[in-house]
Amino acid sequence: MLNIEGIDAGYGATTILNGVSLEVNQSEVVTIVGANGAGKTTTLRTIAGLLKPTTGRILFEGEDITKMSAHDIVELGITLIPEGRQLFPDMTVRENLLMGAYRRGARDHQAETMDHVMELFPRIRERLDQHASSLSGGEQQMVAIARGMMARPKLLMFDEPSLGLAPIIVAQVFEVIGKIVASGATVLIVEQNVFNTLKAADRGYVLENGSIVLSDTAEALLKDDHVRQAYLGI
Amino acid sequence: METFLQVVANGLMLGGLFAIISIGLTLIFGIIKVVNFAHGEFLMAGMFLTYLITTQLGLHPYASVVVVAPALFVLGAVTQKLLIQPLLSARDEHVQIFATVGLSTAMINLALLIFGADIANTPSSGLRSSIQLGPVRILEGQLYILICAALLVVGLEFFLRRTQTGRAIRAVAQNRAAAQLMGINVNWIYVLSFGIGAACVGLASSLVAPLYPTSSTIGTYFVLTAFVVVVLGGLGSIPGAFVGAIIIGLLDSLAGFYIGSDLREAVVFGVFLVILILKPSGLFGTRLKLSHIS
Amino acid sequence: MTFTKTLPASRGLPLAAMGVVALLAALFLIPVVIGDEFVYHIFITICLFAGLSTAWNIVGGYAGQLSLGHAMFYGIGGYAGVILMNMGISPWLGMFVGAGVAALVAVVVSYPCFRLQGPFFALATIAFLEVFRVLALHFRGLTGGAMGLMIQLKLGWEWMVFRERLPALIIAFGLMLVCLAVAHLIRSHRLGFYLVATRERESAARAAGVQTVKVRLIAVAVSAALAAMLGTFHAMYLTFIEPAAMFSLSFSIQIAMFALIGGIGTIYGPLLGAALLVPVTEFARGMLGAEALGLHGFVYGVVLVLAVLFMPNGIMGALQRFTARRTGGEEQAVQAGPVVAAARTAESPEERPAIGREVMRVENLDKHFGGLHVTNNVSFSLREGEILGLIGPNGAGKTTVFNMISGFLQPDSGSVSVLDREGRFQNPVTPGDFAALGVGRTFQIVQPFAAMTVEENIMVGAFYRHHDVNDAREAARETAHRMGLAPWLNAEARGLTIGGLKRLEVARVMAMEPRILLLDEVMAGINQTDVRRAIDLMLSIRDTGVSIIAIEHVMQAVMSLSDRVIVLNSGEIVAEGKPHDVVRDPDVIEAYLGKDFAHAQY
Repeated sequence: MLNIEGIDAGYGATTILNGVSLEVNQSEVVTIVGANGAGKTTTLRTIAGLLKPTTGRILFEGEDITKMSAHDIVELGITLIPEGRQLFPDMTVRENLLMGAYRRGARDHQAETMDHVMELFPRIRERLDQHASSLSGGEQQMVAIARGMMARPKLLMFDEPSLGLAPIIVAQVFEVIGKIVASGATVLIVEQNVFNTLKAADRGYVLENGSIVLSDTAEALLKDDHVRQAYLGI
Repeated sequence: METFLQVVANGLMLGGLFAIISIGLTLIFGIIKVVNFAHGEFLMAGMFLTYLITTQLGLHPYASVVVVAPALFVLGAVTQKLLIQPLLSARDEHVQIFATVGLSTAMINLALLIFGADIANTPSSGLRSSIQLGPVRILEGQLYILICAALLVVGLEFFLRRTQTGRAIRAVAQNRAAAQLMGINVNWIYVLSFGIGAACVGLASSLVAPLYPTSSTIGTYFVLTAFVVVVLGGLGSIPGAFVGAIIIGLLDSLAGFYIGSDLREAVVFGVFLVILILKPSGLFGTRLKLSHIS
Repeated sequence: MTFTKTLPASRGLPLAAMGVVALLAALFLIPVVIGDEFVYHIFITICLFAGLSTAWNIVGGYAGQLSLGHAMFYGIGGYAGVILMNMGISPWLGMFVGAGVAALVAVVVSYPCFRLQGPFFALATIAFLEVFRVLALHFRGLTGGAMGLMIQLKLGWEWMVFRERLPALIIAFGLMLVCLAVAHLIRSHRLGFYLVATRERESAARAAGVQTVKVRLIAVAVSAALAAMLGTFHAMYLTFIEPAAMFSLSFSIQIAMFALIGGIGTIYGPLLGAALLVPVTEFARGMLGAEALGLHGFVYGVVLVLAVLFMPNGIMGALQRFTARRTGGEEQAVQAGPVVAAARTAESPEERPAIGREVMRVENLDKHFGGLHVTNNVSFSLREGEILGLIGPNGAGKTTVFNMISGFLQPDSGSVSVLDREGRFQNPVTPGDFAALGVGRTFQIVQPFAAMTVEENIMVGAFYRHHDVNDAREAARETAHRMGLAPWLNAEARGLTIGGLKRLEVARVMAMEPRILLLDEVMAGINQTDVRRAIDLMLSIRDTGVSIIAIEHVMQAVMSLSDRVIVLNSGEIVAEGKPHDVVRDPDVIEAYLGKDFAHAQY
């Protein structure tokens, strides 16, 4: 579904990604594992079109999206749930969710999607008319995920969904991600909580200093000596 | 007592004037986070256009708005597209400031080249006649300005809160990166917003022209007050600009009467500086807007 | 806003210096040789604007505070000169009175405005200018109000008023040279480095011990004084002043504009801008006369717009790009160069000095952000020559703790004490206080002074110990060598790789010769070889008796470096002890890897 072929990307003169290649297949859950600063977020931002690679190609369902603008990529059905929630603070939760369904492919099914999302996130229903900035960190993360779901994406990307959340909330977030995965969605996830993520994923890539150094099934990675030492601390 | 009421009435009318010229400025800043230093010159251009339409075609000044507002929309959209857009990613903020400062300088002097240093008087079409409202007398045209300003605030708020495009504009204003991730074409929203802000100035021009003589420097005269109003009301807040305008109008009128008309401006700018320094978020500024200031 | 290549050390200097001398000579000689009144007038105007613009550039360029109210100081100088002259006091004296008043006004006006940024600072300066204009109109007794003030016609050098043009040119030229000399002096000394550092990254400048408010106030005072002196001269030259002309917004804009077009932040840019633009427009005005009312302003406006769009670094920037192209893509080569670090010199771990007394004591730090409790009752201490690792998952509050123990954030409650050189514990508050006690820090998100070279970046730190430029440069080079940055000394910081920037961050702090070093994730995102090298480097720093607290995610580094490790989770210390004990602590494993993993293991 998604094919990345040897991309270099970075900010200004600083190159962060060096020849990264990876793929995500239909209904697969793929994770990118790596230390802080390895380039995980940069990879997701490049796929989403917020950053343009200097070399390499990105294909989505066979179409070359390398040079496409971010909003056109959303139209194609790729949605990124960004690191740090990034809600619209002075909008209500309902308005935030409606913005999620801004893309043409989702606009017509707005009401229907809303019902479906409310089932997944019963807690949000009670908060629909509150301003997003008045929610707790965990609630905000739930709204961010719900907003991403509102776009009815073909590929859903998560960037550090458990960042800065208390352990109990992290468990809830992973429960929700588990439900989304169980519904057959195609997911690409980046997360510092390596253990939980590998448990939920089908396959994984290990990113170090901007390059993929290892790729295997999630199960194999959990047993890999290098991964265990570098990311699980054992 | 009667004098006091008259002074207050004058202040309210002045407030309406300040409001109508400030709304576009605060709208543009709130969304694009760019201070348009050429805002006053947009007003000047609109007033000259109104002058030309009324004198050449013999139309009522208010009727000219059907041309002036769209013309200003185009001017604003083009300014955003050709001048601001290329500079949005600039590392140094000073280029954005100088860009609109340069535009302002060029427009003032272009008007001077075309119209000379003389004053252009738009026909007042009876709008300068005064009407008696209880104990006070006010100019008819001023009353219409106040009403229009209020309607414009309500209209814009409705547009921004209740329509899909309006919500998209607010989303861009609140979190540009996230808006992009929703599939919103941010650059297009910017062009649209600058256009709408400038069109508001177009509306203002047609309302103001019959009451005030137009000259190349009229923009500078008004824009400084507009900046005061916008900062007082909280940059980016449209209702804030309205309330700020009324406060500044009253302050201007009262200071002019009780302190001395030549010190009015010093009082107004004094208040401006105090607010800018002590509470840069203004009366209605939110946390979000503040973050761009301090 | 390039800053680098106007420095004495830069290449192509003889050519540039010759160009400046030739330009200055031409400014003086052309009118003298031609001898025409109008030509004299044009060149006097060039000198005036070049001087004003150079003065403006000290604030607008070096310090990056965009003033659009500089006519305020020019006007103060003008009025001071005329009013005093009419009282029988020579403008040569009046000039200094005006300069003094302007400097005072500048400090009073700017102090509260420094918290405003970009357009808001510009707006505030415009408002102050308007207030001055209105006040000048109001106090008729002193200023003559809207009618203006005429000077009493007393001719001669004593009164700075002449029938001929040559003396006026001499004075204008002289004042311009003074402005250029001051600008040059500031730029090539500590103050200039501090100003640019403050402009580029205020927090990093504060961490380097720069008193950012003080250096900016000095800059505005100097700039205002120079502008006022030119104002006095110009009032004498015009023989008549009025508020509308002396406190004019468009005049202020012109002053700033010449600097922008010439090259903002460079020493000679403003001179170049004025020398190129004033003649063009003055000639147009002279030739076309009243028919072309507004033409010169229109040209200025259009040139300004085109300049920001196509030449944002001004003529100086364009010239540099031109010369850079001629000398070949040197910067490219510099970036791509191999890492040749010579980190650890001789010491081996066995020779390390013993861990000494307590040097920093952190007690019960509490901090809330809104409803979030980011640090909860955090206490620890640091000993001399010790490396303390601070670890924990993202969002645990590590950087918040760092901000509180370096003065960037005030705790809601709790205290931080640092041992001073006399052996007493002090309670520092501001980043400056911490720097003075020898606490140096790096930032997790690197904060290079992007427009400065690597050497200049390190010099900003080195100035903390060495006030002389040459000493600071020497110290910076030494530090760069130690940090393996020597090959890039003359490269602009913005061109470095992430690993290079991390090292630069440490180098700048090391140049301050700190006793306590706070390192915030200096190993994140760098490759394995660099990690190994960074570990050696930290050990060698420790061996010189420096105490280190390091926030680190790279476990390998934490394990091999730290004498002690503190684990932070959700703002609380959950474990503390020897590295090998801490990583086996179930609480720690849970914090890092989640409950499931902890259960799976035990």
